[in-house]
Amino acid sequence: MKVKEIMVKDVASISPETGADEALVLLEKMQISGLPVIDENSKLVGMFTEKDILSYILPSYIEKVGRFIYEENPKSTKKKFMELNKIKVRQLMRKDVVTTTEETTLCEAARIMLTQKARRIPVIDKSGRVVGIVARCDILKAFAKETGKPIS
Amino acid sequence: MLKKFILLIFISLGLGIFTKHIGLNSQQALAISIFSASILGTLFFWDFRVAISFLGVAILLVTKTIDLENLIRFASLEVILFLVGMMVLVGLLREVGLFAWLVTLILRVRKLTAKKFILVISVISALLSCCVDEVTSIIFMVAAILEICDYFEVEATPYVIISIIMTNIGSMGTVLGNPIGILIATKSGLTFEDFILKAFPIMWICLLTAIFLVIFWYRKAIKKLDEKIRELGANEMLIKLISVPPERQLKLGLGIFGVTLFFISLHHRLELLWKLETNTLLLSVPLISSGLVMIWKWRRARDYIVKDVDWWTLLFFLLLFAKAGTLKYTGATDVLAQKISFLVRGNPSILTSVILWISAAGSSVLDNVVLVAAFIPIVQSLKELGFVLQPLWWALLFGGCLGGNVTLVGSTANIVALGILEKEKNIRMTFFSWFWIGLTVGLITTAVVWLALLLLPFYR
Repeated sequence: MKVKEIMVKDVASISPETGADEALVLLEKMQISGLPVIDENSKLVGMFTEKDILSYILPSYIEKVGRFIYEENPKSTKKKFMELNKIKVRQLMRKDVVTTTEETTLCEAARIMLTQKARRIPVIDKSGRVVGIVARCDILKAFAKETGKPIS
Repeated sequence: MLKKFILLIFISLGLGIFTKHIGLNSQQALAISIFSASILGTLFFWDFRVAISFLGVAILLVTKTIDLENLIRFASLEVILFLVGMMVLVGLLREVGLFAWLVTLILRVRKLTAKKFILVISVISALLSCCVDEVTSIIFMVAAILEICDYFEVEATPYVIISIIMTNIGSMGTVLGNPIGILIATKSGLTFEDFILKAFPIMWICLLTAIFLVIFWYRKAIKKLDEKIRELGANEMLIKLISVPPERQLKLGLGIFGVTLFFISLHHRLELLWKLETNTLLLSVPLISSGLVMIWKWRRARDYIVKDVDWWTLLFFLLLFAKAGTLKYTGATDVLAQKISFLVRGNPSILTSVILWISAAGSSVLDNVVLVAAFIPIVQSLKELGFVLQPLWWALLFGGCLGGNVTLVGSTANIVALGILEKEKNIRMTFFSWFWIGLTVGLITTAVVWLALLLLPFYR
């Protein structure tokens, strides 16, 4: 089975110029953790996820310090959250995006997801345009269907 | 990029030709040429330093400038293993929350004033960098400073600069503070006790001098912080926010580190008692401690080795030491030592001064490990010319650490801390906004050390 058979073709996306606060609202509304970022030529330029917002809000040194020392959230975290409206998606998005193609097999797509720690991967054509998106659950559903034990 | 590359080739070839002209043989000139190319390579193309080292070592082997056996001997695996052991221990300390606990010590200072704040961050920066290493130390200090400055709504830059300066000064206090400390200790036979007797006290003198200087330099920032403290009512609120219960793991981690420091500090006496070779225990103790840590936390052991050990830097050091060893192996440093001895007219005081100031000036722009690695074989060669080496080793250590304060790229601590400042506060420091305070502190503290080296018979 190939990715093109299971991918979602109607891809929800955001523009790099969208405000980070606006994008967060959109994620919440759609109940998903990330969206592909597509420019005016329909080319994939990045991936914007809740993780990007979290890592912006938390101090950059926190991984090296080991743990937080406060019971309440530090002032800087609140301040950065308040400033999300001044930040564009392009400033926070991950530019190095893992992608796949329509002709990729499901196992290969699943391997990419596992090794690259991606929940969903955009499917692109030869010119770099996004033609679909495939998520972990899509692959699991396809596997389930193949074994004759559909999940839903 | 291309210009820098041409400059690199031009200077290193030029040096090779020049040294051949003044009497070195072809292999010696080649070793100098390759070593200078890798020094310039690290200066111009920092991100390519390991790649350049790989190529440099390969050329030295292929051209038979050094053989495999000696390359491995000079690579100083003992220094690398010591650093690996310490990095694993620091990884454990980070994990059990020791550093967070240390940071809270600063936050808990009662009746905080700006001067008290500067005093506390200066002393803790210096002592922390003495006990662990300057890079780990500075990350924790910057984290604490940013939080406190955020709370009092003042600009963090002066306090970050103060902490960096004190971290660099502190790193000369013990064998553990800076990679050049352990490098010099292993090559010179100096012990931890020697460092405690001869480097630790002068570190304090430099520290106090620097504290006076920065208090004067940043008097406006101090006034502002004092006003804010009065306005916002000391740090009572901040204290309430801290929650680091002294957990069992933290106590154990602290215990392991304490015992490690204890044995490291006694290594020389125990080596004498057990008739071991000099510095055997100094190098083994971190390995024993980190070995025990990896038994205790065996599920995390692989993470300690893979994630907490900075293999990129260690590999760079390993190859750097090998390349510097080639200078000794080919006899290039013997010739250079003779030339230097001739230039200083055989006067040990002038020689000590020259080494101190060159190492301070050099480490203000270069990685001090690169500089010290280059100097070590020269200092070793000076022994054969009848010089007493001890003052030279101290000059190399003090200059290498204090020079790091002069420019904003002088030491890894500067680069790491200013990187955090830029990322967190969007403050990009310019060369000159650092340079004047850095130069003032660098010159005065080096001058203090210089006087001590020349006037105190203790260092001879």
